Amino acid sequence: MNPKMSAGEAGPSRAKPSWLISQLQHMKRDRQFLLMLLPCIVFYILFRYGPIYGLIIAFKDYSVFEGILGSEWVGLEHFRTFFSSNDFWLLFKNTLLLGLYSLLWGFPFPILFAILLNEVRNKRFKKSVQTFSYLPAFLSIVIICSMVIDFLSPGRGLLNQFLQWIGLEKIYFMIAPEWFRTIYVASDIWASMGYEAIIYLAAIAGINPSLYEAAKVDGAKRWHLMRYITFPSLLPTILVLFILKAGSMFRIGFEKVLLLYNPMTYEVADVFSTYVYRKGLIERDYSFAAAVGIFEALIALIMLVAANLISRRMGGKSLW
Amino acid sequence: MVGEKRWSLFTIFNTLILSAVAVATLYPVIYIIAISFSESSAIAQGKVFLWPVGFNLDAYRYIFSEDRIPSAYLNTILYTALGTLINLVMTAVAAYPLSRPGLFWRKFFVIGIVLTMFLNGGMIPTYLVVDKLGLLNSIWAIVLPNAIWTMELLILKSFYENMSESLRESAILDGATEFRILWSIIIPLSKPALASIGLFYFMGHWNSYFLPMIYLNDVDKYPLQVVLRDMLILQYAEESQVEGTKALMPDAVKNATIFISMIPVLLIYPFAQKYFAKGVMLGSEKG
Repeated sequence: MNPKMSAGEAGPSRAKPSWLISQLQHMKRDRQFLLMLLPCIVFYILFRYGPIYGLIIAFKDYSVFEGILGSEWVGLEHFRTFFSSNDFWLLFKNTLLLGLYSLLWGFPFPILFAILLNEVRNKRFKKSVQTFSYLPAFLSIVIICSMVIDFLSPGRGLLNQFLQWIGLEKIYFMIAPEWFRTIYVASDIWASMGYEAIIYLAAIAGINPSLYEAAKVDGAKRWHLMRYITFPSLLPTILVLFILKAGSMFRIGFEKVLLLYNPMTYEVADVFSTYVYRKGLIERDYSFAAAVGIFEALIALIMLVAANLISRRMGGKSLW
Repeated sequence: MVGEKRWSLFTIFNTLILSAVAVATLYPVIYIIAISFSESSAIAQGKVFLWPVGFNLDAYRYIFSEDRIPSAYLNTILYTALGTLINLVMTAVAAYPLSRPGLFWRKFFVIGIVLTMFLNGGMIPTYLVVDKLGLLNSIWAIVLPNAIWTMELLILKSFYENMSESLRESAILDGATEFRILWSIIIPLSKPALASIGLFYFMGHWNSYFLPMIYLNDVDKYPLQVVLRDMLILQYAEESQVEGTKALMPDAVKNATIFISMIPVLLIYPFAQKYFAKGVMLGSEKG
C-alpha cells in the first residue's frame, strides 16, 4: 500500500493512491479528534485486545520465562484435560443451576415491587420505600456478603435465633451445601430488587394516564387496572429484560460466590469463573485456566446470541 | 360498599409488604451501627437490635489506635480519587471524537469498542497483561486496566450526540480548537451525565475488592474492602466450622469497620439517588 509503489504501476490501480490520499486528508482534518482518541485506543489495545491475544496461551504450555510466544504449543490438550475431568460436569451443572435459579426466582420480584409501589397513594411513603430499596446497590459486595453471613450465623445470627425461638434446631447455613443456592439467590433478590425496579417504574410512569381514566369510567377496580393495564403495558419491557438476563445467565456474579463459598460447599457453589480463579491465580496453572475461561466465554456468547435471536424472532428488540 | 372494603384491604397489605421491604433493606445497616457502639457483653447476649446497648466508642478507639484500618482507608481514598479522575477524563475526552458523525474511521473505532463488551480475554490473560506491563502490586494495576468502562463511554457518547450543535458551530466560527470546545462547551453542558457516570465509577472503585485482591501483594497497599474481606469473611469460615472458637476480632470492631467504610457512600447516597436512577435508565436504554 506504499504510495510510491502503486504510483509506479499503471492504469487500474491508480484508484488506490487517491483513496490513500483522501484517507490521509481525512486523518489530517481530524487530527485533533484522533489525538483525543489516542489514549482510548491505547487503552483498548492494551487492556481489552491484549488479553484476547493472550488467549493463545490456552493452546500452549505457558511458562513465565518463555513468554507467550516462546512457550510450547500443545493444541487442544488443556481442553481435553478439562472436558475429561470430573470437575467439568460439576462446574457445568453448578453454573447452569445457579444462573437458572437466579433468573427464575430473581426476575419477578422487581416487577412485582414496581407494580405494588406504583399503587401507593402516599407520595412520601412511596419515595421513602423506593429510596431505601436501593440502598444495597450502594454497598460493596464484601459488606453484603458479611451481612448475609452474620444474619445466618449459628451463634448470633437473627435467623437462627428465630429458629430456636420457635423451637427448631439451629442450622449451619454457610457450610450446608443444600442451602447455598437458596442463600445466593435470596441475597441477590434482596440486594438488586430496588435498582432493577427503577426500569419498570419508569416504564409504568410512561403509561398513558387516559387508559386508567377510561377504565375507571368503565367501573374497573384497582385490581383490574393492575391486571389489564399496568401489567400488559409493562410486558414489552419485561420481555426485553428477560431475554437480556437469560442471555447473560452464565455470567454468575462470581465475586459473590467467591465470598460466600468455602470448601464445604464447593460441590454446589463452584462455578466456571471461581474455578478459573483458583486454577489460574492460586495454583498458577495459567494455560489450563485460560482454556476453561475460553470455554466459559464461548458458552456465554452462544447464550447471548441465542437469546437475541429469539428476541428478534418474536419481533422484539435486538441487542444489535 | 364491598368494593370500598377491598380497596382498603389491598392498601393495608400493600403498605405492609412495602414496609417490610424497606425494613429489610434498611435494618441491616442500622443493626451494624448499633452493634458498633455497643458493649461486648450486650452483643454476645444478643441484646442489641435497634439501638446501641451500653453506648461506648471503644471499637472506634481500637480501630484508630491501630495502623491497619486507617492506612487501608487512605489507600481506598487514594485509589478511588485517582481512579475516578482517570475514568472521567478518559471517558469524557474519548466520547467526544466518537460522537462526531464524520470522524475518521468512526465505524471501525465504535465497533472495535462495542465488540469488547462481548469478547474479552478474561481473568487470566488480563492478569498476565497487567503483569507484563509491570503494573502488579502498584496503584496503576488498580486504576489503569479499567480506565474506561465501555458502557459508560457509550452512554456519554450518545449524550454528546444529542447535544445541540449551534454552540459548537459558533465556537468554530470564533476559531476555537476542538480541545477548547470540549473543555468550555461540551463538558460544562454534560455535567449531569458526567455526575451520573462519575457516581458509578466512584462506587466501582470504593467498593471493589476482587481486582485489588489479585493485583496487590503487599498487605500495606490493600484497600479497605480487601481488609474487610479478610476480617469478615475469611475469619468467619474458621469460626463457623468449630463452634466456640473465640472470634479473633470482637463484633463491635468488625461492625465499626463496616460502618466507617460505608460513611462516604451513605453520605452521598441521598443526594446521588437522582443520578443513580438516571444512570440505570441510560444504561438500560443503551443495553
